[in-house]
Parts: sequence; structure tokens; C-alpha cells
Amino acid sequence: MWIMTGPCLVLAFLGAWWTAGRLAGDGLWPPDEVTLSEAVATRNNAEAVRLIESGANPNQPSAVREGLLTSGYAVTIKPIEAAVGAQRADSVRTLLANGAAVDQEELRVLRCLEQTRHDSGVRELLAAQSSSDVDCNGVRSPLERVR
Amino acid sequence: MVRTALRSPATTLAVVLATLMTLPLADSLYRVPIQVSDSLEPLVIAAKYDSAQHLLHDSLTFSPTTFRPLRYLQARALLAFTQATGVTYHAVFRGLHVVLLLMLIALFVAAVRVRTWPDLVAFTFAFPVLLGIHTFLSMLLEAFPVNHFAEVGVCALVLFVLAQHQPRWFVPVVASVLLALSLSVIESGAMVWVTVICCAVAGLRGINRTTVVATTVVFVGYLLLRHVLEISSPGVGGHGSGFGDRFYSPEELAQRFGAHPLGFMIYNVTGGLASLLFAEPRQGVYALLAASREGEMHPVVLINVISSSATTALLIWYAVARLPRSRSAWSDADRTFVAACTAFIVNAAFNAVYIKDEIMSPAGLFYAIAAFVAVRALIDSLPSRTLAATALATCVLTAVAALWTFRAAGVHYQLRYDAFTTRNDWVEVLRPDKHDDWPEDPVELGLTERLRAEAINRRTTSPSFMPRWTDRYWVE
Repeated sequence: MWIMTGPCLVLAFLGAWWTAGRLAGDGLWPPDEVTLSEAVATRNNAEAVRLIESGANPNQPSAVREGLLTSGYAVTIKPIEAAVGAQRADSVRTLLANGAAVDQEELRVLRCLEQTRHDSGVRELLAAQSSSDVDCNGVRSPLERVR
Repeated sequence: MVRTALRSPATTLAVVLATLMTLPLADSLYRVPIQVSDSLEPLVIAAKYDSAQHLLHDSLTFSPTTFRPLRYLQARALLAFTQATGVTYHAVFRGLHVVLLLMLIALFVAAVRVRTWPDLVAFTFAFPVLLGIHTFLSMLLEAFPVNHFAEVGVCALVLFVLAQHQPRWFVPVVASVLLALSLSVIESGAMVWVTVICCAVAGLRGINRTTVVATTVVFVGYLLLRHVLEISSPGVGGHGSGFGDRFYSPEELAQRFGAHPLGFMIYNVTGGLASLLFAEPRQGVYALLAASREGEMHPVVLINVISSSATTALLIWYAVARLPRSRSAWSDADRTFVAACTAFIVNAAFNAVYIKDEIMSPAGLFYAIAAFVAVRALIDSLPSRTLAATALATCVLTAVAALWTFRAAGVHYQLRYDAFTTRNDWVEVLRPDKHDDWPEDPVELGLTERLRAEAINRRTTSPSFMPRWTDRYWVE
């Protein structure tokens, strides 16, 4: 009969562990420490806005750890490049609304990056900035591994 | 009284177990920011009125289908409390959500009345059922400024617990007040009256004729008031709802079922009950049908269906084994079981127009109580069974308990996920590039700015940094 209590006891033990962890620090699944580009890459728009409102530069490249946008290596990219890489139109819009600037050269890089990631929402947003066709010859993806 | 209740070591252990599992749950719930949907607008309305009387008067006509004056008055009182104390809106509103959660847990522990070691074993089965059932999570995720479904759950459980004890002079008064409060925050408050009636029908001694009459008078008065104020019930097409293997928008429902709604309403009522008993359908959509169409079945669907169906089978076993006797021969446990089961069956009728997990949230509480009674009876019956039957029953119960515990653990993940999406919702509020859309009223603007700042500045966990497998096992 007592074996039935096992699952509940395990959860109670975990609950005690999580509570102790919370009292000592952040506990179960604490909020992550991220750069602005990482916040965007993980579709954490609210964290991106918090970082910008705290003084982070929305045009400054920052590190994105491996596994978020790339496999096996980290990259250092601009937040808006992370948004396009993560196929997040809402993140692109949030960055543009909060001070991200995109010049013609950067726009070309972003549109070429979108052609490799394919997101119709992002494509529409970028096309609204420039309606001309884009030539991707010689454009290096910001997500490529730097040798 | 508390000392008496805790005199049994089994009772003490049940309280300790409940506490250990509830504390991190309270923490997970507290991490969810105040929601934009369903919360911001009532808060702004409550803040803008010059007086509570004026707000009460106007709130009677806010909607042609709802009568919820206390929703706005509660919000206004909490806003005033926030300003008076200087604490954050988050602390006050989310803190109240947590208090309601703690009250629900305490009332559940009181309702199942663990006194002996077999009681404790049954409790370790039923408590994860309470936390893990999808209606409980839906109640926690409720987006109103004050969690009305949790309020209804608390009021219903208070009466259920009172019904289990000797009748007291104050029960009719308490029942009437709780019913009136519940009905003035949300229509599901009628479940408080249903609880009283079901307890009386089951013969629980704490509900006497006076309580039944008093609460019925309050309920009839509520219906008359709605009639006088020309508040109608919502029809088909007022909300989106599922049918078969897909979800339909309000317009699609009106077009498809508006002319002949009876079949759809029967589908909704039976579907609401089935969702509680078998974890399918959810919001009216049968995930099993959708999975067979798409050729992909997420493990979460199987886990939920197996655990719920097995527990429902246990309830059916209890009903067949214990209830055919005459009502006068029923034990207290039998009466508790009948009251709980009839309450959750009647609760299904509330889904007539559209199915929503939150509507069934009181039913989820009663389902867990019924599960406790049934498991307790099965444990009692084990000594009279063969060794093989005992071993088989123990193995099955342990496996089902493990599934429920897994579901209960998933509540943390889903609350983290909700905290993440709710915080992101605030990014769309007061957008810098849409300054023209900002409110012009200084009170509304000030409140919105502060709520937004509190939400944005409360860091949450991104699902990207949580285990990848969790989505398939915990999110339907």
C-alpha cells in the first residue's frame, strides 16, 4: 500500500528542494541572464525592451550562445539580425519601435538572411523598408561561423 | 480546533506534504505578471470612476449578457489598497491570486479529512489529481484582475466543508453571503448554489432545509435581478468553442449552429463532462481526432487521457459497489462522494453555450475529492482480495498516481510559460512608435505606465532555456 505514496513523496521532496533553492537564490527554472541579442533570439521581447530601457544599445552587436540560433558555435550579432535569424517579425517590430536603426547595407544583409530562414512576416516588414530586389551575391550571413 | 485536527500524525503528514507541494506552486503563480487581456481594461475602468457608487451603478449596464458588479469594485478596492500602502500592483493582485490558491489547498485538505494512515495513502493519490487536472491549471491562469473562478472554488469548498460537519446556526447566513458574492463576480458563481443543493441531496448533515431555502431565495433573486436589468444569457456565437477536431470562431459557430443550437449545446454539456472524466475534449476539441488526422500524437494527450480515464474508472467502481444501497445506509464517505460527483456532473451544464476549461474548474476540485473517497475505499478492500488482485490494484494505482504527479509537476512549466507570454504581451502596450494610440486621460495613462513597467521589469524564464522535451509532455 505504501508504494502508492512514492510519486507524491517525490514531488513533495522536489517541492522542498525548489523552495529551498528559491530561498537561497532563484529556485526552479530561474530567469535567464541574457544579452540583448539573446533575448531577441529566444523571442523574449519583454526582456529586450527591459534591457533597452535600462540603457542597452539596440544597434550594438552582442553574443548569442550556441544552440539558440546556431548549432555548435556562438555568434556575435546585432539584435535585429538575431530577430531575423529567429524568424520573429514581432521582435523585428519591437526593435524598430525601440530605437534599432537599419541602413541600406544592413537591410541588404537582413533580407539575404531572411532568404535563408524564410519567414513571411519578417519578409513583409523588411520589404516595407525597401521594395527593390535584393542581390545577395557576396553577402555574408551574420550567423556564419567566423574562422 | 487546529490542534485537535493535527493530533493525528497522518493529518500532520498530509498537511506537510500539501505544504511542500504548494509552496513552489505559489511561487510559480506569483511569477506570472498581471495580464493585459481581461485585466488592464477592468483596472482602468475601476480607476477612472470618481466614486465606488457611480462605478457600481454603471457596471450593471457594462454588458448585455453579464452581471459582474463586484469585479470592478474588487479591482477598485485593491487599487486603493495599493495606493494606500505603497506596494506594487503586482504584489497586491498576484498576491491575492496566491492567497486564493492557498485557501483552495487548505479547504481541500479540510474536505478530505485525513485521519488515518490509509487516509494518508489515498491523499497522496488525490492531491496530485487536484493539482494536475487541467481545470486547476486553467483556474490558475485566469486573466481577470482578481481570480473569479478561484473565488467561486473557494466559496464552493467552504460550503462543502461546512456541509460535512454538524449543522450550525450561521451556515445559512454564510452560504447566502458566499453565494451572493460569487454571483456578483461571475455567472459560474451559481456553482455555489449547486454545491449546497448537491450536499443536501447527498444527505450531508451540515446543510439543513434553512440553508437550502435561503440560498435558493438568493439565487432566484439573482435571476430576477438579471431579468429586471434585461441581462440575457449569451447565445451560441458569443464565444469561440471547439467542435469535433477543430476550434471555431464565434462567427463560424453562429453560422453553423445559430439556427439550431440544441445539438451543439448537448455536445458542449457532454463534452464538458467528458473533458473532466477523460481529459478529452479540451475546449471542445478532441485532440485524439486531430492527432489521428495529422498522424502525430503528443505524449501529453496520452498521459492525460490514461490518468483521467483510470481515475474515472475508479469512481465508477465505487459508485457501483457502494451506492445501490438505500440512502439511509450511506456512510459519510458515500455522502461526500455523491455530493462531489453530482456537483461536477451539474457543473458540466454550465458549458451549454461554449466549452471552457475554467468553467469546469469547480468540477475539478470535486473530482479530486471523489477520487480520494474512491481510492480510500479501494485501499480498505485490499485485505479481502487475493494476493494477485491486491498486487495488481497496487501496481495500477501507483502507475496512475505517478501519471497524476507528473501532470502536477507540469503546472510549474505551464505557469512559467504563461509568465513569459504574459510579460511579452505588455510590449505591445504603450508602444513608442504608436504614441498617438496612448490614452489621453492622465489617470489611465499613469496606471497603464505603472502596470507596464512592473510587468516588464519582472524578469521571467524563456521557454528556450527550459528542457526541450517539456512541451510535448506537458502542453496540449
